[in-house]
Amino acid sequence: MKLTTYAQSLHDLNIIKENGLDEVLLGHKEFSRLGKLSDDEFIQLSARARELGLSPIFEWDILMTETEFPSLAQKIITLKEHFTEIRLQDPGALEFTLTKMDSKIQWITENGNHNLFGLKHWEDYIGPRLSRLVLSIEIPKLSLTEYIKELKTPVEILGLGRILLFYTPRSLLSPLVKNSDDPVTKTMLQSETFEALGESEESPHKGFPLVENRHGTFMFHIKEFCLLDYGAELASLGLSYFRIDLRPSSLTDNLPKVKALTTEFSTEGFDAFKDTYPQDLMRGFYLVNKTDVLFPKLKNSRLVRKDEGYVGEILDVAKSEYAVIQLKGKVKLKVGDNLKFIHPEGKEYIVPVVWMKATDLTEITEAQENQLILMNTMNGLWVRGQAYLA
Amino acid sequence: MSYFVPEVLAPAGSLDKLKVAILYGADAVYVGGQKFGLRTAAENFTLEELKEGVNFAHERNAKVYVVLNSFLHDKDLDELPDFVRYLEEIKIDAVIVSDLGVVKTVAEHTKLHIHISTQASVLNVESAKLWKKMGATRVIVGRELSVKESGIIKREAGLEVEMFIHGSMCMAYSGNCVISNFTQGRDSNRGGCAHSCRFEYSIDFGLKDKESIKAYFMSSKDLEGIRVLPEFIKEEIDSIKIEGRMKSNLYAGTMSKTYKEALDYYRDNGDFLSEKMLMWESELGKVSHRDYTEASLVDKAGDSSIYNERENSNDNEWKSIGHVVEASDKAGIIIEVRNAFNQGDELEIIPFKGEILKITANEIMSMMMNPITRTKPSTLVKLPYHRGAERFNLVRAKGSK
Repeated sequence: MKLTTYAQSLHDLNIIKENGLDEVLLGHKEFSRLGKLSDDEFIQLSARARELGLSPIFEWDILMTETEFPSLAQKIITLKEHFTEIRLQDPGALEFTLTKMDSKIQWITENGNHNLFGLKHWEDYIGPRLSRLVLSIEIPKLSLTEYIKELKTPVEILGLGRILLFYTPRSLLSPLVKNSDDPVTKTMLQSETFEALGESEESPHKGFPLVENRHGTFMFHIKEFCLLDYGAELASLGLSYFRIDLRPSSLTDNLPKVKALTTEFSTEGFDAFKDTYPQDLMRGFYLVNKTDVLFPKLKNSRLVRKDEGYVGEILDVAKSEYAVIQLKGKVKLKVGDNLKFIHPEGKEYIVPVVWMKATDLTEITEAQENQLILMNTMNGLWVRGQAYLA
Repeated sequence: MSYFVPEVLAPAGSLDKLKVAILYGADAVYVGGQKFGLRTAAENFTLEELKEGVNFAHERNAKVYVVLNSFLHDKDLDELPDFVRYLEEIKIDAVIVSDLGVVKTVAEHTKLHIHISTQASVLNVESAKLWKKMGATRVIVGRELSVKESGIIKREAGLEVEMFIHGSMCMAYSGNCVISNFTQGRDSNRGGCAHSCRFEYSIDFGLKDKESIKAYFMSSKDLEGIRVLPEFIKEEIDSIKIEGRMKSNLYAGTMSKTYKEALDYYRDNGDFLSEKMLMWESELGKVSHRDYTEASLVDKAGDSSIYNERENSNDNEWKSIGHVVEASDKAGIIIEVRNAFNQGDELEIIPFKGEILKITANEIMSMMMNPITRTKPSTLVKLPYHRGAERFNLVRAKGSK
């Protein structure tokens, strides 16, 4: 299992080389969500990376509207000699790269793509130029194990770094302070990237890092994602690349520690790392992803209509007088039938149909779909109750 | 002469809403089954309801699209083939999909038309070309695009293009928000969105001696594109979509009627009259909503597209009274009451086409013909019959509490 990480300066490249990595991720400010490198800086870092024997990987992970796309597409052609592989996230960038360039492709599937069937189809579509699949951190270990085994392509996941929660092209921070007279605030607004922390009384989590730059606004989790304590396990599963994103902290301080922990893990070493690392850490859904278990509680399944024996819905109940039912099912209702109602808490009520009236109050003995009928009621019936033939 | 107009595509969170939307003029509706969509808490459709909904729609020359736009996990995919085969059997018109695994499952098991969901953030021609190669026949482009950009995509990628024109908006690129996943353990991209973007946040810029700023900084105003309709027509956008499967019958009906009437007017006249436009805008304003924005339909959404207010603070002066469940000479007009009204209140019954029917509720009766002076929510009441009132007509009133 190899480590991969970002460089933002020549110094970073030296640290990366010293720690034995063989590639480096470069974020150009026009192409990369959090990239800060200008053309010259990118070219300089790319050249130096090659001198050091590091493979420069170009990150093109922004999403682009049709207005933005053509100029970036034109520009990437002029930069292609400065990188060995390109990593992409917008399907448009993928299509362009496949049809107009010949670079090896690292395909970021971190949004969605939580099934092997889809991932295999990405492999088939991109073909031999696909050098890596970057998988979502929402995929739990059990699935990841299967994916690594079944996919033909080397797999990368985030090993340490911020968890991106939210990405919008709109500028959300600057409008809050744009009219400020404060010179410090004015200076902040002139910078290409500025950051803040957000918290809400409606959430128990405090201190979400927020970043605004030319690509919009980003919100991150208060804790960083970390699987360093599972590094050996992931290596044994056959994971090819472990991404270490130290851009918010210090590459110099932390990359050697990460390298040591992934080479030979020790609980003491990991505890010491956590003690000094500037952010709290979490493993997210690595052990298990249960983000759908609450769904049944969002809706009472007893209130959901069942098709079998369905008669209709109560629209009105006048205590001890009558209930009004809108017949919606295919069955005919007759005097003498028994109706079953299932209360939201599970209790079943059986009501014999003793009498029925049409809405003009004439007596009827039979009714069918789309009719509105009045009938005898009993204690406990409720509006919106679903009626079934018992 | 008849001019090109787009399809009006309305939300239908339940079978009743489907009927309301279609009767009020929607050319197509999008609905969800009990699984695979993004509105887990919505009523949604059982298999039998889907069949009934398709029959109801097709009898009226309307189409039904079924959403399968969750980012499905492996185990979710297991049940999908049977479901999509059923959808094909009952002749739904297309499925709305955002994940390649789902696209390929649908293509492998059926010949259904595939529309790529806005969740996939299709934002440029190249992206649309890719999805076309994957088997898509239509893309529902990201809400970050202008109508003009979408027109380019339609022409250059050679696909049908559908665009949102009205309703609530994600502030994030759709499919690119996982706040609920990591803070509340609910997968927003499988139907569990907790709407954290609507919360008020304290923003600390780390400036010395400066207090945090409180703001609903991630909340977007609601989209309203009625004034941009000429652009949609000019660019030949195939379908204009109204958001809101969780919203009321009144919403589904009012939106369908208003946008359809506007487009019918254009189809017949080749233009929009400004006084008509004012009337349609006024109708859209009578349904509960956040402040409106055109977002990115014309120019890139700016500061003014942020809804920096508490939810539901827009106290709309119009209230939904309910809808007509039966109307006949013999029985009168039977209304299912949603919000209470009083004897003497002025009510508006909205017909499926044409002018509003204004009535005064002088005589209100229970179903057993007992007189009532003040109605209660979740009851049925009878009013004397008025010609023109029909089942599923919506009823509203000004200032009823």
